[in-house]
Amino acid sequence: MSLGDLIFHLGQWLRTTPLTEISLDIQKTWLSALIDQHFWVIPIIQTIHILAIAAVFGSVVMTNLRILQLAGNSRTMTETVRRYLPWIWWGLLVLLLTGIGMTVGEPVRELTNPVFWIKMILIIVASMISLGFQTSVRRNVARWELTHGGRVLIRVGSSAVIALWCLIMLAGRWIAYAPT
Amino acid sequence: MLQAISQAIVNWPLSQFIAESSWAFPTLESIHVIAIVTVIGTIAVMDLRLIGVASRACAVTEMSNDTLKWTWGAFVVALITGSLIFISKAVDYTVNPFFLWKMVMIVVAGINMAVFHLFTWRSVHRWDKDCDVPLGGKIAGGLSLFFWIVVVFLGRAIGFTLDKFSQS
Repeated sequence: MSLGDLIFHLGQWLRTTPLTEISLDIQKTWLSALIDQHFWVIPIIQTIHILAIAAVFGSVVMTNLRILQLAGNSRTMTETVRRYLPWIWWGLLVLLLTGIGMTVGEPVRELTNPVFWIKMILIIVASMISLGFQTSVRRNVARWELTHGGRVLIRVGSSAVIALWCLIMLAGRWIAYAPT
Repeated sequence: MLQAISQAIVNWPLSQFIAESSWAFPTLESIHVIAIVTVIGTIAVMDLRLIGVASRACAVTEMSNDTLKWTWGAFVVALITGSLIFISKAVDYTVNPFFLWKMVMIVVAGINMAVFHLFTWRSVHRWDKDCDVPLGGKIAGGLSLFFWIVVVFLGRAIGFTLDKFSQS
């Protein structure tokens, strides 16, 4: 089964779930109507959403470049984490709020969209990795300071995290093109 | 004149392919978004250092070394994907005011960066670490953030208004 088929079947199944009813109910709320009736609300929310992902992705990239020892080598891991992790968490909060705004404005387009749910799963995975990383640096700071970017596992892991965030952005854009 | 050129561009085989393919346009858009997010994400790290909001303990020259190559690399990707997106609908883009303003803003952001590197940067050894960035540097950092935020908004606005201004 190709990825296209998988997305198609996932979309068909989603429409048989209560999500269809829920989206239609959300669409009847005043907030949804307000967002829908004002032309500039969605593009402005999307702009804030993109700026927030820029803050998150920029921080993810800088942190992982430090792990890979490709940038920021003069700073310790603790300094790096203290500089960038808060921007990741606050950025994720802004992404969540603007994401909810877009979903309330166009509930059917999002909630019955297979790509939307694939994106949500990827975000949960990425957030868990961030949380795990933060905890690990706190607990084993000495080991992270000594870790060399040359170690295969670290190299693969760091590159995978950057790729995962790229995949999330890719999914974000493809929500607009998925068949609903 | 502009109309005739853009009409010729959309007739190129590559333009036609991007416009007609089911996957090419969204794929280019996705890569364009990832690239511009990287440009702004890394440029913001440098701008916030200049303004004095973040990374104050890190030397300015070092911050520049850490970010600039990634910013430029991503900018080249954004430029290539942006050009490919443009040629597929050149007629619609050239009459869209948000597209034209976006191009102006990118040029203005470039001029701001050039002015900073040609003038303020000359004395960087004096304010590299453990002291305040001169006002010129702070202003350049603030303007850079502002211009790129506007670029993102204009970019999003294009997608919502393409049909509105299109004459076809």
